[in-house]
Amino acid sequence: MTAEQQHPAGTSSPPGEPHLKVVGVVKHFGGVEALAGVDFELRRGEVMGLVGDNGAGKSTLMKILAGAHVADAGHFYIDETEVTISSPHEASRLGIQIVYQDLALCENLDVTANLFLGKEPTVPGWTRFLPERLRPIDTLSMELEALAAVQRLDVRTLKSVRAKVGVLSGGQRQAVAIARAVGTESSILLLDEPTAALGVAQTAQVLNAVRRLRDNGHAIVYISHNLGDVFEITDRITVLRQGTNVGVFETKQTNNDEIVAAITSGGDPGNGNHG
Amino acid sequence: MADTLNRSLATLGAMRESRFGSYLPVLLALVAIWGFFGLTEPNFLSPRNFYFLFLQSAVVGTLAVGITIVLLIGDIDLSAAATAGVCAALLAVLITNEGVPVPIAIIAAIVAGIVLSGAEGMIVAFVRVPSFVVTLAGLLAFQGLMLKILGIHGAINMRDPFIRDLTTANLPNEIGWALVALGIVALALAVWRTRRKRASLGLELDPVYADLGKIVGFGLLAAVGVAILNGYRGVPVVVVLLLAVTALLGWITTSTRFGRALFAVGGNTESARRVGISITWTRVAAFTIVGLMAAFAGIVGASRYASVSFNAFAGGPLLLNAIGAAVIGGTSLFGGRGSVWNAILGALVIGSVGNGLDLGGASAADKFIISGAILLLAVSLDAVSRRGASQTR
Repeated sequence: MTAEQQHPAGTSSPPGEPHLKVVGVVKHFGGVEALAGVDFELRRGEVMGLVGDNGAGKSTLMKILAGAHVADAGHFYIDETEVTISSPHEASRLGIQIVYQDLALCENLDVTANLFLGKEPTVPGWTRFLPERLRPIDTLSMELEALAAVQRLDVRTLKSVRAKVGVLSGGQRQAVAIARAVGTESSILLLDEPTAALGVAQTAQVLNAVRRLRDNGHAIVYISHNLGDVFEITDRITVLRQGTNVGVFETKQTNNDEIVAAITSGGDPGNGNHG
Repeated sequence: MADTLNRSLATLGAMRESRFGSYLPVLLALVAIWGFFGLTEPNFLSPRNFYFLFLQSAVVGTLAVGITIVLLIGDIDLSAAATAGVCAALLAVLITNEGVPVPIAIIAAIVAGIVLSGAEGMIVAFVRVPSFVVTLAGLLAFQGLMLKILGIHGAINMRDPFIRDLTTANLPNEIGWALVALGIVALALAVWRTRRKRASLGLELDPVYADLGKIVGFGLLAAVGVAILNGYRGVPVVVVLLLAVTALLGWITTSTRFGRALFAVGGNTESARRVGISITWTRVAAFTIVGLMAAFAGIVGASRYASVSFNAFAGGPLLLNAIGAAVIGGTSLFGGRGSVWNAILGALVIGSVGNGLDLGGASAADKFIISGAILLLAVSLDAVSRRGASQTR
């Protein structure tokens, strides 16, 4: 069964060619084959769920896309141009950003400082004679941009971008991490279990932020174990099992049982192929 | 009851998290200590005593400011006092025994400080040995190095007038007051400009009382300090120099990309690495700054004691006093939180306690025990206020 087929016509998912496409990705760790020739694609303005059991290869695929791992084999295309992804730096240059589950925020710094960490703009003018790293940071323009970024994601509960990240809620932190990832020139956002540790209200907040990004034309990969969230937020769902892609499903035309079957047994041949 | 405790912890945490409030705990401690000794020792609050209190705190303060920089990245430098000792010994030998011109001897001492600490920083950053171990080894090695430089005498006198002037010269009263006025005007102008810019950009403003409090607080502190010092001999030059260096480092740590990197590495090393901050070079730079400040401390110490001896630097309580000053000031041993200004205030706390106990005729044993208790209190406050801050979510 190959569910990786033509896109069904007449669905609500955005039209167009895939923005990111990978073909035949293979990755070995020692003797273990983590990915055995995975195909995967992602369109602009789409949230693609990536689900599968533990060890199915979700995280490996994510890390390869983010440049943290290098694939042993496979082809990568962005807007039909073949590219190579061999380092996080290269991935970020291609517009691919990842938000890891641990977020990696500095709790001792405020929201603005976290959003611009490592790429702070400096005050123009007299400071040009100073070494680059000793130039004063342009805090006011940073704060303006941070406010705009937070507003774009519609994080209403965040009262001040001068609040230390350490005092924020889990949902707010997730939003800050997402805002940092999309703040740079990115078109592809990889989210690893963004709602794993969150309560109901905070999950809603994060899903809302993801929706806003999708509506702005970002292509988003959403890894989660929580199928409820996946059905709520995604447009399509890719199921991995034992390092292979066992199916791509239109979220609106599938159901929980079908996805669970695909995750656990590679799908029931009777209804796995819905195209 | 538990709720009240939680809330007060949270308030304490929030208080220390705000930019202005981080000075409050140590300032309150200072006022309490001064009040206590002012009541028990009639001479404690005299201008003469305060003058010497400031001078005594200058060496510890200089070293504490340097140590604050490595504490910010979550490392520690146990060899800072020994480094200062090597620099002081080198300075004394070059000037007193070898007759080398003073500027060259000063440069040699500074280079020595930077090289020794920089080397430790490289080992910490590249070989990835914990700084605790590297600088403990450095402490031992530099103690030996200092003894070697001092030779068989164990102490070298420092009679050079320029070096001595560093800690004996004072500003004329008028210049002291002029500096206070200048400081207040400059601070007020800076606060007002920021306020106006923020308002014109539509950004949130600090409450007026916070901005005013900043200016009034600084003005009051500076005016009282200068008034007291002028009541004896005037503001010591070394105090002004130390404040100038601290101001520069304070600006670097809070307002530049390098300073942001220090806080990021101390707050979350993995995060700093992922955004492309060079952890290794940030570390090396931080240790180099400690070396520079240790050299300054060595020079100031040589000047203040008019001699260089093993016990005044490497072998004495200088190191623990300096680390204590940084931590009492509110700089976290866990990294990512602190300020060089607080180190100065912490040095004053340590100096005041030692001075007050001396006046009361306390034994060396009592002084050690009480200093230890105060340090423990400060670190406990740090740990508790961290918990308080994370409970406000």
